[in-house]
Amino acid sequence: MTLDIRGLSKFYGTWQALKEIDLSVGESEFVCLLGPSGCGKTTLLRVVAGLESFEGGEMTLGGRDLATIGARDRGFGIVFQSYSLFPQMTAAQNIGYGLKLRKRPQAEISARVEELLALVGLEEFAGRLPWQLSGGQQQRVAIARALAVEPALLLLDEPLSALDARVRAGLRSEIRQMQKRLGIPTIMVTHDQEEALTMADKVVCMSAGRIEQIGSPADIYTRPATRFVADFVGSSTLLPEERAAGFGIVPPAGQSGRLFALRPEDVLVRPDATGPGRVRSITFLGNVSRVEIDWQGDVILAETHRLPDFTEGAPVTLSLQPGAGVWVAP
Amino acid sequence: MSKPVEKRIPRGLDQPIGERLFQHVVLLVPLAGLALFFLYPLAIVVWRSFQQRDGAVGVGNYREILALDHLWGVVSNSLVMSGLTALISVSLGLVIAYALNRTKMPLRWLVSLALILPLLAPSLVQALGLIFMFGRNGLVTYLTGIEMQIYGLPGLVIANSMYALPQAVMIMAVALRHADRRQYDAALVLGASPWRRFVDITLPALRFGILSAAFVCFTVTITDFGNAAVIGGNYRVLASEIYAQVVGQMNFNMGAVVGILLLIPTLLAFYLEKVAAQRGGTGEGAIPVEPDRWAPRDIPLWLAAHLTALFLIAIVAVVVFASFVQLWPYKMSLTLKNYNITTQGGYDPLWTSLYASLITAAFGTLMLFALVLAQRKMPRSSARLVYLLAIIPVGVPGLVLGLSYVLSFNVKPVFPGILYGSVLLIAFCNFYHYHSQGFLTMVTGIRNVPKQLEETVTTIGGGTWASLRDAIIPIMVPTLISVFFFLFMRGMVTLSAVIFLITPKLSVGAVSVMRLDQAGSSTQAAAFSVLIMLTVLVAMGLLRAILRLQEAFPKRGAWH
Repeated sequence: MTLDIRGLSKFYGTWQALKEIDLSVGESEFVCLLGPSGCGKTTLLRVVAGLESFEGGEMTLGGRDLATIGARDRGFGIVFQSYSLFPQMTAAQNIGYGLKLRKRPQAEISARVEELLALVGLEEFAGRLPWQLSGGQQQRVAIARALAVEPALLLLDEPLSALDARVRAGLRSEIRQMQKRLGIPTIMVTHDQEEALTMADKVVCMSAGRIEQIGSPADIYTRPATRFVADFVGSSTLLPEERAAGFGIVPPAGQSGRLFALRPEDVLVRPDATGPGRVRSITFLGNVSRVEIDWQGDVILAETHRLPDFTEGAPVTLSLQPGAGVWVAP
Repeated sequence: MSKPVEKRIPRGLDQPIGERLFQHVVLLVPLAGLALFFLYPLAIVVWRSFQQRDGAVGVGNYREILALDHLWGVVSNSLVMSGLTALISVSLGLVIAYALNRTKMPLRWLVSLALILPLLAPSLVQALGLIFMFGRNGLVTYLTGIEMQIYGLPGLVIANSMYALPQAVMIMAVALRHADRRQYDAALVLGASPWRRFVDITLPALRFGILSAAFVCFTVTITDFGNAAVIGGNYRVLASEIYAQVVGQMNFNMGAVVGILLLIPTLLAFYLEKVAAQRGGTGEGAIPVEPDRWAPRDIPLWLAAHLTALFLIAIVAVVVFASFVQLWPYKMSLTLKNYNITTQGGYDPLWTSLYASLITAAFGTLMLFALVLAQRKMPRSSARLVYLLAIIPVGVPGLVLGLSYVLSFNVKPVFPGILYGSVLLIAFCNFYHYHSQGFLTMVTGIRNVPKQLEETVTTIGGGTWASLRDAIIPIMVPTLISVFFFLFMRGMVTLSAVIFLITPKLSVGAVSVMRLDQAGSSTQAAAFSVLIMLTVLVAMGLLRAILRLQEAFPKRGAWH
């Protein structure tokens, strides 16, 4: 079943939280809503879940109009950042909760719970109460609980944000593999670009209640459509037309007033006693070093994979990798 | 951009009819209760205060009252008495709260125990104890021959201060507990002396706590009736004036005017406190301040705290002792005859109190729970309105509320009249008297229920009932129990509101204590108070036991 959203708008009083959202989530597709806080990504997820209303546009699932179906009856699964397990129920009871509400026979519930505990690797923890589980384990239980009812759509609201870095990385690939295996269409909200780029089939980049760009992770990174995307996903130096001309680059015909977005890894830095650039700062990041260069009144970001062979204040010259940079809407 | 404004219809939030109905019921039933048993009686008081003796409507009553020579004396008496009480309770309360929370005081349990005592009994038990000690036939007077002038202002202020002190300590202890250790560490590193740290960090953080405590002490004592009746002597205060007007002279309209006058200082204090509280803020995620040692500060603090505690314990102990004495203070042999109470309705009032308090607790807990459930789902602006309405009762003195009940429900033969003289009316009166405190506890409790837990239930396919049973109630149980027992205990000991609701056939425990004392059998009054204290003590023990049992099944996960 496909989720189709057409021209969806959401208002809080006079303030518009979502502006003309168009989005579709295909069968077994993993879609990430990515954006800074306050961009409307969580609101969109909650509208899809039926936890918030919407005022304009349409939303259908497999052709059925969702506007007339309440959250209770949509048959979705949801996972929140805060785990939200029932504190008085064991891990197994939490997972079986949805089936119990549906009054399935006890034997069926037990079998399904068993299966899901195995899926999330928590067989030995069936009888534990939430407070006896670690954050990562609690979140696994929450995911299993959402999956237990075979949801038509899985909604994940920053599911990894409360976990520490190591657990987060592990659970990230686990969730992705689980989703691929079960083929459940999934929408995940995140503000972490790395999470979005590594997990999603499709990244939806949002800003100020509007979708800036939809595309595959590679698309979003290598071909950002707008200044916002170029800036928010990875880092870019944004150059106006006349500055880009300094590198011998001109915009395609008929496109003026755009900005040239340049990824730091596409900028080559060479020490040159007569070069026009000056190294402004060098930040060592481990596998790479990030270099800021004063270049004819602009600051250009570059990256070197080896330890740089120049120091701060040194004169340098810059060149670009072939095919570097894209033109983005300002 | 300038599109004409079209009507936007929210869609996609399809709530089943049953859920919407539930939402309406949990909102409208408690609001109807507030309207009928709080707003309506108050409106009647206002109305009656304008109803003149000649039948016309006007400010005649006010003119008449304000022209009374002694009235201004009574008003200033009340203000002086409550002002002094607030001053004493707040300063002593600050000392004790500080000693308990910020110093390593030895025998802390003794102080904590002493602070519970005044909550166990009707306020007039403090006065009773003082009289047993320092009164005309007091122990100290009898033994030393020196008669202290305990009747009147001194006795009133001491008795009321003892009664208000635990509440002051509680409020300021909460404020002290909210402090953040990092502030103190930062000041220490910057070289601030202990005194500077107290003045620059502790005191500013306590501003609202102090104001709030002063407000509470002022309000609960300016209208306190029990102490005024027992130890007030010739020192007339507004509370005794209103009682004299209504019960003595059957002058209901004049009583209403005095009631309105009583409302003014409390509502003013209430308003000031609310304004001040809005400017206060408590930091989330604060690291608690560890108690430390510093002799020059600790020794005077401990001395003050322990002496106060001893005094509190002594006063209650003397009441308990007196309840077993033949003839205080002349014949100190022990006896049980004081417990053989046959006058003033015998033990019936105690049972009435118990019965009424159970209704207060059960009905009140249910109403307040419904109200916070409704409030949680409402848009912010209307939720704020409900909140405001729910906390107004704290600004209405018990005496005024009681009077308003007489004026509204002692009428025949229309509907509200059938309630008059019934246990139910006493129960309602006590509930709405303590509505605000119970409501605030309930609000704090429901804030501990994560909204997302409810949303999880909804998304999985559960309705209102599933959400209540699996998400809200399990987390709310400790709060529900606490509110139940709070209402029960207050119901057992309160006097000022119900004094107007008793009839020759129906009385309550606190009134019996007062009547017995006024009839001259002060040792029997002592015996009766001991039994009230025991009942409340048992309730308190039950509360602790249940809460501990709750904790034995730990449910506390990572909730915030």
